[in-house]
Parts: sequence; C-alpha cells; structure tokens
Amino acid sequence: MTAQPEASSPAPGDVSLGIGKLIVPSLIGGLVALTLGVYGRLHHPTGVVVNIAGFTSAGYVKSWLATVATVFGIVQVISALVMYGKIPRVTAPSWIGTLHRWSGRIAFLVAVPVAVNCLYGLGFQTYSTRVLIHSLLGCAFFGAFTIKMLILPKRGLPGWTLPLAGAVVFTVLIGIWFTSAFWFFSTFGLHR
Amino acid sequence: MKPNMPLVTLLSGAGLGVGVLVVSMLSPSSTSSASGYGATSPASATTAATSPLTPATASASESATLPATAAATAPATASATAVASAPATAPGTAPGAVPTATASAQKADVPAKADYVAQVNGGGAAVAISVHAGKAVAYVCNGHAVAAWLRGTATAGKLDLTGKNGARLDVSYRSEKATGFIMADGIKYTFSAPLVHRVSSVHRPPGLYEATGMVDGVSIKAGWVVLPGGGQVGSVEYDPSSAVAPTAQAPVLDLTTGTAQYDGITLVASLISGFTGSGF
Repeated sequence: MTAQPEASSPAPGDVSLGIGKLIVPSLIGGLVALTLGVYGRLHHPTGVVVNIAGFTSAGYVKSWLATVATVFGIVQVISALVMYGKIPRVTAPSWIGTLHRWSGRIAFLVAVPVAVNCLYGLGFQTYSTRVLIHSLLGCAFFGAFTIKMLILPKRGLPGWTLPLAGAVVFTVLIGIWFTSAFWFFSTFGLHR
Repeated sequence: MKPNMPLVTLLSGAGLGVGVLVVSMLSPSSTSSASGYGATSPASATTAATSPLTPATASASESATLPATAAATAPATASATAVASAPATAPGTAPGAVPTATASAQKADVPAKADYVAQVNGGGAAVAISVHAGKAVAYVCNGHAVAAWLRGTATAGKLDLTGKNGARLDVSYRSEKATGFIMADGIKYTFSAPLVHRVSSVHRPPGLYEATGMVDGVSIKAGWVVLPGGGQVGSVEYDPSSAVAPTAQAPVLDLTTGTAQYDGITLVASLISGFTGSGF
C-alpha cells in the first residue's frame, strides 16, 4: 500500500521475467495466510480479549478498529485512483503518495490488534456462513497484504500487478468488515 | 540504498501483532477490561491485583466489591438459617441446611417451589429464576451477547448461585416476588420479578426455557425468558462449555410447539420449572 506507481524507475527485463518476480512473494503471502488459519484452528480459543476504557465490550473495540481500518482502506482506493489518473479532472497533488503510504500503514497497523484478538480469543471458526467467510477472509487479508508489500519495491513488474494486488487487499478488507463490524453494529447497536 | 519501507511496514505490523499477543497472554484468564466491565470472576479478580496490565482502578473496584458481597451474603445466610457457623461455600454439601431452610422458610413466607420472570430494571435484559426444593437455577440474557446461567442452592429466601465468568447474584425471594441483582458479563442487572402464576393455555407458560443442539459440529445452548404476556428474550451460546462462549440472538421460540428453528436445525426447548421440578 505504499506504492508510488509509474515512478521514475524504468522497467528492465521482459514481462515474463516480471511475472516470475511474483512467485516468491506469493508463496510467502500464502504461507502467512495458511499459518494464521492453522494457528487459529489448532490453538484453543481463550476468550481473552483486551478491552479499552470507554467501550462497552471488546466486540465494540474490535468493530470500531475494523471500521477505522476500512475507512483508511477507502482512502487507499481513492488516493490510488488519483495517482493513476483515473479520476477525471483531478490531477494528482504532490502529497498524494504520502497520503497513500500513510493511510495504508495506519489501516494495516490498526487491523493487526483486531486480528490478534480474533485469532487468540476466538480462533478460526466455521459455525455459520458469516463466521466461515470471515475466518477465511481474515487470514487471506494478511496473506494478500504481505504479497502487496513484498512486490512493491520490485521493478519491472507488469503494470497491472499493483492495482490488482491493491484491489484484492481492499476487496478482502471490505468483506471482512461486512462479516464482522457491520454484522456486530447491526446486531448489537451502533455505539461504543 | 534507501530502506525497504514496505518491508518495514510488514515487520512493524508483525511486531505489533506479537506485542498484542503477549499482552493478551499476560492478561487475566477471562475477559479483561480497563473500564471495570468484565473480569468479574474470582480467579481474574485475584490476579488483577498482580497483573501489570489491569489498571489500578479496575483491580481496586474488583477487590473491593468481591469481599463486600461475600461479607454481606455470609452473615445474612448464617443468621437466617440459625446456623451460626455455616459457611456460605460448598452449596449442597451441608445436609442439615435444607431442613433448616424449609422450617424457617415457611415462617418467612418463602415458597419451596417457585418461578419468577421479569425484565430487568430499565429493560434491556430479562431474568428468570426457578426454585425447587432447596435448589435454584437463574438465567439472565439480553437477547444478544449477554447470557449467563447460574445454579446453586436456595436457602431461607436467599439464593446462593454461581455461573461462569464470575456470574453471581444477590437475590431474596418470597411468595410474591424475587428481588435483587445479577452480575453477568460484568453488567449488574437489578430487578423485581413477580411469581409466575400458571394459566391453563395451549401456549407454553411463561418461564425459563432451555434447548441444546449441534450446528456444524459445534454444540450450542439456547435460553429464553418467556415473559407473562408472551414476550420473550433469548440468547444462544456457541460451545457453551468454553471459557467465554460466543453469544448471539436466539431464534424465536414458538410457544405453541416449544421449538425454534436455528441454522437449519430444530431446537426443542424444555421448561426449567421450579413449580413442577422439570429441568432440575
């Protein structure tokens, strides 16, 4: 999420060589997702959830953190569209790269404690469709994000790789939010 | 060469994750809370004093309320049963306690068999208490994430019940009503619940209903408080034997059939009634 797409560096090598550079990051990302899922499945859920003062329950803490991450995720997509010149009549301001990098970092760092609480306290669960989808997407998110981060510094990749990776990360994040925070707020009410 | 910032981002995320994990592992073994909510089990309350992660305010209030409640309950029980040395612990293990209780119970207008249901004060949750021959079951739920089952003894108009995660109560019951409070999931519910009067009807009577089942290999336990007038509040717990069971809204209990549909299975509810003794 810290891309400066179409930056100065030229693309050396041909396209097939570029795609080859995706193999190792993809394997590592897959391993990250798999590790999280296996840990969540094997580790016995403790139910331990650290609450924060001012919130009714840890569920609200997680839902609000997930919502913050999702809002920054939306900033990610908008800033990326601006950077790529996809929004008509909007020229990318000089600070758009910084905005994109930092909104991504914040979204990621805010999502991490939520994921730890989920995996440690609740584990990888399958007892309903919502929960199964959430468990799968939650693990997939960190795998996809890892891939995105690992391919960012690489040069000579096909032009579609970063937008695709970003789109996957964002789509998964939205899926996570709808199967958790949205469900939580609509079930238990929208407050702290 | 400039630093690989995406890698730095990844590694700081990993580091943060490990940090949060360590904090979670060090925190007390039940739902921890900095606001004073949760962490009400005796086990976590004792560790709270030593845990560096629990703020002093929380541990202070925990350690203050627990002994206070214990101190308040113990003398009351002792004097009511006229057994000066009777400890307030080990429910059901003192064989002499039940006859004594029954004797004083009749004097003090305390029924041996009774069911009470009500919404808690302020609404937002419902409570049901069933008393049968010295034993009692209480259930409180809010139709969402809060649900607590408490079991124990009923002695001379006072209940000594406990539940998971520090669920506890302080309730007096008489032939007309049961009054007091229940602590569940760190929330204190006060109430005054009238006695349920049975009315002949095709419908299931007001009271406490329980159903268990399996959904996708996970055991679930649902509870409903059916109020006089037909209203109901129910919650369902997943994996109810686990330390903190994920809890959600229960499906509607059909009061004609006594069943509920949930995630493709049919739950058959049974009445826990002190009046008839069913479910004890």
